[in-house]
Amino acid sequence: MYEEPYRWVEAVGNRRQYLDEQFKQGSPVVALTYEGGILLVTVSKGTPKLYEIYDRLALGGMGHPTDLEKLRFSLLEMAHVEGFNRSPSDVTGSRLVKYGIAPVIKQAFEEVYKAPFIVRILVAELGQKPEKDALLTINYDGTFEETTGCAVLAATPAAQTKMTAYLKEQTPATLSLEQALDLALRAWAIGSLAHQQEESDQRAETESSASGAGAAAAAIPNVDVLREHVRSIAGGRTLECAVLERQAPGTSKYRSLKPADLSRLLPKALQSVVAN
Amino acid sequence: MGMQGDFLQLLKEQGYTLGTPTAVGTGHALTNATTILAFKYRDGVLVAGDRRATAGNMVMYDRTDKVLEIDRYSVMAIAGVPATAYEMVRVLEHSFKYYRRTQLQELSFDGKLRAISKLLKDNVPAALAGTGAVVPVFAGYDLEQGSAKIYFYDILGAEFEGVEYAVSGSGSPTIRGILHYLNTWGDQPLNQLPEEQAMVQALRLLTSAAEFDSATGGVNREASLYPVIKLITGAGVQTIPDATLKPLYESQVVRYV
Repeated sequence: MYEEPYRWVEAVGNRRQYLDEQFKQGSPVVALTYEGGILLVTVSKGTPKLYEIYDRLALGGMGHPTDLEKLRFSLLEMAHVEGFNRSPSDVTGSRLVKYGIAPVIKQAFEEVYKAPFIVRILVAELGQKPEKDALLTINYDGTFEETTGCAVLAATPAAQTKMTAYLKEQTPATLSLEQALDLALRAWAIGSLAHQQEESDQRAETESSASGAGAAAAAIPNVDVLREHVRSIAGGRTLECAVLERQAPGTSKYRSLKPADLSRLLPKALQSVVAN
Repeated sequence: MGMQGDFLQLLKEQGYTLGTPTAVGTGHALTNATTILAFKYRDGVLVAGDRRATAGNMVMYDRTDKVLEIDRYSVMAIAGVPATAYEMVRVLEHSFKYYRRTQLQELSFDGKLRAISKLLKDNVPAALAGTGAVVPVFAGYDLEQGSAKIYFYDILGAEFEGVEYAVSGSGSPTIRGILHYLNTWGDQPLNQLPEEQAMVQALRLLTSAAEFDSATGGVNREASLYPVIKLITGAGVQTIPDATLKPLYESQVVRYV
């Protein structure tokens, strides 16, 4: 029945709707460059969402854990085989994404008989020099974007825009790791609040499709509200933070921050998150 | 499958083979002779190697590094055909990283030993053909047990634990006896030597090996060429810079007779 072009377009449209629905409960991911490298932050429940891919590559994901695992493995395989056959400096995020997993994700998305990957992926690459740091994001349909400075994954484009705008607006020329962590968590809170807001808006719309819902586009809450939100959500979950550190000894630059690191780095208002 | 985190298997699926056996033609002298040693000292294990690479009676290179870091806690010192040995180290380095990143945990110390055995076993045909014999010494710090360990191998991949010390290479017969003597009747057993004394002993041992084995390069002070010495402790692998070795050599190794 999908042979007709119109049906196919319709099926792909349905797929988008279905996939968008899947990310609603997801936790945003924030990646931010700071003076010593790149920081990745998310709050996870049960399965980790930040991973080491190669010497200078890190992965952050949203979506179904099994799909994320599959893609993580293909990234790991490609990276290590390439690093062995050529050299570690030939393993670049952009090659892995553009010629590696993005086509696979796109194909799965468009083959309407088969299940798509329920994932959004962020690949952070630590360059040899700070100017070469790169951040790549891939959507569930295989579209990818390459940016510098900061990148986020969120449930909806609106939430993503809010987070990015906040990060861009707040970022001074150089951030220390403490500052970066604080800022990344605030951006995370903006994304997470935006998800909640959108959901309650939707509920309100279905309940009374008349008035009131338009006021949703609220102003950005202040720092205390954002921290309070992080505290309330992260309390029962795991605050996951990882860094790609330019000055780290040895070839592997990835390090996930341990509770001891976090309690040293987090602002006072968020110390309670670590104790959990 | 990648689920096992086996990098060598992954390479093989892609058509990779280590060490293809080829008969040695006449007129080609292979680079192989050397001296490497490892012994336990007070804080961990010391691994040292001379820096000469020879082919027959020719010195190919005098700045070879035969003590290679595989990861932060393990080192492989190589004797034998360098081409194969370097390749093995590259495979191991990637294998350990791949395992850690896929399985989200470090490969155990025993797992690392097994990986080396497997590589040596794969390499047997090449070793017997004469083009790829490698006789490594593997030393590392087992974080789980909190102790330093030394293993040595034969070319077929059998692994032996060197409880106090291990040696390999053409210059090793000379120093094996010295190590035994030092450890048994020395002022103190090797595993109680403080760091500096351990380094001095390593320099003396390699100098002795160079005295009797032409394929082992000793210390060449004019070229400020010192052996490679690495210390592995709970804090990881540490390479001793020449600037530290120079005064030790001059004050405690040189004899002006």
